[in-house]
Amino acid sequence: MHESHHVVAPSYLDMTAQEITNDVLKRHHSPGNQFWTIAMILGGLFVVGLVGLFMLIADGFDNKSAWGYYAATFGYVFSLSQTAVLVSVALRMAKSHWRRPLARISEMFAIVGVYSFAMLLPLLWVLPSIEGRRSLWFEWPGNTPHIWDTMALGSLVICGLAILYFASLPDLVTDKEVSGKSDEDVSYHPLIPHWFGAPKHWQLQKIVLGLLGGFYFLMLIIVHMLISVDFAMALIPGWKDAIFPAFHAINGIQASIALIIVTMFILRSRSSLGKYLELEQFWALSKILLATCLLWFYFWWSSFFTYWYGRMPAEIGVLKYIMFETYSTVFLLAFTMCFVIPFLILVVNVVRKTIWGPTLAASVILIGTFFNQVRYYVAGFSVEDHTLHVLENLPDFTAPGPIDFMVVVGGISGAVLTYMLGTRIFPIISIWEIKEGLMLQRVRKFMKRDIRVLAKPE
Amino acid sequence: MARKSILGLFDNADSAADATDVLLEAGATQDDFDVLTGSPYPEGAFGEKDPVHHIYVFPIIGALMGLTMALVLTAGTQVAYPMVTGGKPILAFPAMTIICYEGTLLGAVLFTIIGIIFESRLPRLRLDPYDARINEGYIGLLVTTEEEKLDDMERALIRGSALEVVHERGRALRG
Repeated sequence: MHESHHVVAPSYLDMTAQEITNDVLKRHHSPGNQFWTIAMILGGLFVVGLVGLFMLIADGFDNKSAWGYYAATFGYVFSLSQTAVLVSVALRMAKSHWRRPLARISEMFAIVGVYSFAMLLPLLWVLPSIEGRRSLWFEWPGNTPHIWDTMALGSLVICGLAILYFASLPDLVTDKEVSGKSDEDVSYHPLIPHWFGAPKHWQLQKIVLGLLGGFYFLMLIIVHMLISVDFAMALIPGWKDAIFPAFHAINGIQASIALIIVTMFILRSRSSLGKYLELEQFWALSKILLATCLLWFYFWWSSFFTYWYGRMPAEIGVLKYIMFETYSTVFLLAFTMCFVIPFLILVVNVVRKTIWGPTLAASVILIGTFFNQVRYYVAGFSVEDHTLHVLENLPDFTAPGPIDFMVVVGGISGAVLTYMLGTRIFPIISIWEIKEGLMLQRVRKFMKRDIRVLAKPE
Repeated sequence: MARKSILGLFDNADSAADATDVLLEAGATQDDFDVLTGSPYPEGAFGEKDPVHHIYVFPIIGALMGLTMALVLTAGTQVAYPMVTGGKPILAFPAMTIICYEGTLLGAVLFTIIGIIFESRLPRLRLDPYDARINEGYIGLLVTTEEEKLDDMERALIRGSALEVVHERGRALRG
């Protein structure tokens, strides 16, 4: 009897293909007044951020410490948005069925990649030359690492946008056809009338999404490495940690899963998409989130104890600077919010198997990740002399000023606004994947309970 | 001989799958028809032949081109502006590896995008008949054949339980 409380009935969308199409497209075309009100508020905050950015630019690029919070905001937006696309890529490769409703939510973050790319550009002028300092690049001639970091992030953005476009193409066709628009309508992309869902189209789409997904993963990891090394680690004398780029990527994966959970929660509560985004999606993602919390700790620990036992002057200087003295408060906040609190929330199965539990943990992680970026990027940009080999005199903590607040709030608002505007182009729920999922599953009676039967064509 | 297309509409997948047999019996070949669906069905579900494509060639070519470009760029720059640092060789392979990796992936991505556009034959020169109901769960059988055979194919589609045969593009019927 007690056991029956833990039995979760299989969720099954009891809708026809026509109902799904019309329901999603109706919401796509009528986002509601609240959507535009929030968009306008975010737009206002984004303008405030732009003013802050112009004030930074007006003060010039020589005072690097003034750009620390801008760099942290860039690192935050990049880590979250670009890594979020990977969630859909990985789950599609794993052929999981529960990912269908959240596939587009994840892929849509590719649009925010364009925004993060734009955020990178001013930083290229702030990033010091590698001349005379230790870096990944040795004494490379030309504008290294500026040009290569730009190329890497640009490639990642192109790949992400291609994934989003080709994954959305069937839904864009559906939108055009069901809305009764003519082939000559310029509001649609020219390829749309020509894609008509023949077996070859579907097969090519599947293969290409797999290929681009693989390339995206390969590229994302190296971009995490380049950004974290060039904009944080190489700027702090004595910091030579092979684990840090991987840690940066793990933190990005953790935060991007958290971001998708929070986005799902907002869409569920504000856009009446509850019938698509059910407990199953939150529960499944919360398990991965819990694993990434443990990975966060593992990577941090691995990185920490080699320095702790090494105890070379350069290593002690780095530990004091970004963990135990100058940025100790920020580090404690990051440690608590990226590991301790979410771990304690998610380790309880009863809480994990809810919608609010993973959302609460995810919200805490999103805040903690920002603090984590602050202790890397602000700390990195606050060092005056990057040519040193040891951080003998620790730089002071760079407290955020009014301009920093403007840049942080405006920068994050701009990213959210970009995502929201993206939902005006691409339906936020992947119609074709939901329909395909419905076709491949049924709920059947099994002894005294209902179970879901999944068809696996491959 | 000019080829024209007609579209048979079916309200369920089983009827459409059966209709492909009727089309074959009526003299059509596998190359003469395509099954149009609003979501992907398992490959071979309609008895259609395996689509032929060369999509895998594109990322390989792209990756090779990207790698070549990156090698030329990196090695060329260092040879053109030689700087000896700490007695290390002019060609800094660890740094070159990163750029070659970037170039290889960028080439692969760009050529994959070109590949799907080319292999899907997008955009098409001619827009065939289509019906919006395909996006709402109906199945379309698009038959493309010589003009003189078109009537036979239309009769075959109707014999195969097609609800309607569409001749023109642009119909966007609802409910």
